Amino acid sequence: MKTSFTAGIFPFMILLMLGCKPTTTDRINKEASITGIKQLPENPLEMTPLAVTLQPEEKTMATLYGNSIAAKRLKDGMDYGAGSVLYLVTWKGKADPDWFGARIPDRVTAIERVSIGGNGQKNYIFFKGPAKNADLEISKDDRQAKILDIPVATSP
Amino acid sequence: MKLKFKIVLCILVLILLAQLIRPKEVKSSKAPEARVLTGVPLEVAKVLETSCFDCHSAYTKWRWFDKLTPVNFLVASHIRDGRKALDFSQWDSLATPQRNAMLYFALNGILSKEMPLSSYTAVHPEAKLNPKDVDLLKSYLLNNAVSKPANAEKTAKDVEKPALKEIKNSPNGIAYLPDYRNWKAISSTERFDNGTIRIIFGNPTAVEAIRTGNINPWPDGTVFAKTAWKQQKAKDGSIYAGQFVQVEFMIKNAKQYAHTKGWGWARWKGDNLLPYGKTVSFDTECISCHRPERDNDYVFTTPLAINGLTKK
Repeated sequence: MKTSFTAGIFPFMILLMLGCKPTTTDRINKEASITGIKQLPENPLEMTPLAVTLQPEEKTMATLYGNSIAAKRLKDGMDYGAGSVLYLVTWKGKADPDWFGARIPDRVTAIERVSIGGNGQKNYIFFKGPAKNADLEISKDDRQAKILDIPVATSP
Repeated sequence: MKLKFKIVLCILVLILLAQLIRPKEVKSSKAPEARVLTGVPLEVAKVLETSCFDCHSAYTKWRWFDKLTPVNFLVASHIRDGRKALDFSQWDSLATPQRNAMLYFALNGILSKEMPLSSYTAVHPEAKLNPKDVDLLKSYLLNNAVSKPANAEKTAKDVEKPALKEIKNSPNGIAYLPDYRNWKAISSTERFDNGTIRIIFGNPTAVEAIRTGNINPWPDGTVFAKTAWKQQKAKDGSIYAGQFVQVEFMIKNAKQYAHTKGWGWARWKGDNLLPYGKTVSFDTECISCHRPERDNDYVFTTPLAINGLTKK
């Protein structure tokens, strides 16, 4: 009886110890990384981050990403050239559980894509994220102009 | 019996004699009276005074049992370390943003259960904070110490940038890494405590570690560049990255940086990229702030699953 009890308690203790160890997956901000959007032509998070913006009224935060042509703006400050592809990914913000005084991305509200063709023709596409309020009206021209106008985050 | 008595007597005499050896903090006659934190409501200041001042100011109240040798040496060393990390005695000489930073730092130490030390509250139970005290501090900060963004009178583009000369190494020998703007953004942060907006860049090793879920501990070769800009308000009310404030690097090498928790820490400030820190061991400040994340390899950032965005 005593031996079987001892034999049983060890695996239980090991299980408890494993259970207490922080897991790596917990540290990935999964909620902010899932969109459910299948038809995205590119993954914006793989592109160069160009700018960050906040929308205090909507309590959202957004990052502007660009392909290598768009990223030239970081260096030369010129307008986006032909062949530029830009993505604005917008998240609902949430309180950072690790720092009182900070907010971090929560669920994606929207992904917007602006591309500039060889002839300078601009194209805008809107992708609705899982946290997007369906009633919100989006004016395509306004949004396109706004995205192209976001000041890039310059650094020395 | 007689021998036992002699041994006990010897020990008692030794303990009594040991009381003549004391750390200088105990020798100095009397600690100055605690000064109320200027500009802070009395009830908020009282909470901080009761829970923090003994170790984080010059106004330590030594109880009789704190003064006994050898306990007093341990207490004195705690106070020295405590004041290095946070010293409320400096309050009057600080500008409002630094005072606010101090209060947010103190509150985050409390929220992460790092502070007050459990060994301290075990013998000083009055220093324990109850949920009401914590709510009082939170509410005070949210209502009085939230940074407002600057108005967009001048955009970052309009401000003339100084020509960059040679970028000096950090005092701990770490060299500046100029390529970080080509790395991926592993997250972003709005910091309403100090009015900044941040992008956390990860180098290819960091991104690969995220892809494979190998982030605790992060592999050697991982580098993060946390870049902060001042928040700037546009006419439509949205906020964007204005003036560049600083870039901070964390460079993982478990062996090389074993003495600093496996990471090399460095920070360059302003458009001149001046290295931060006065001494080689300035990075104790970085570690002290990151200590609550020791179970997460000292990393605050919860990264985005970069390759996961297009997955269902």
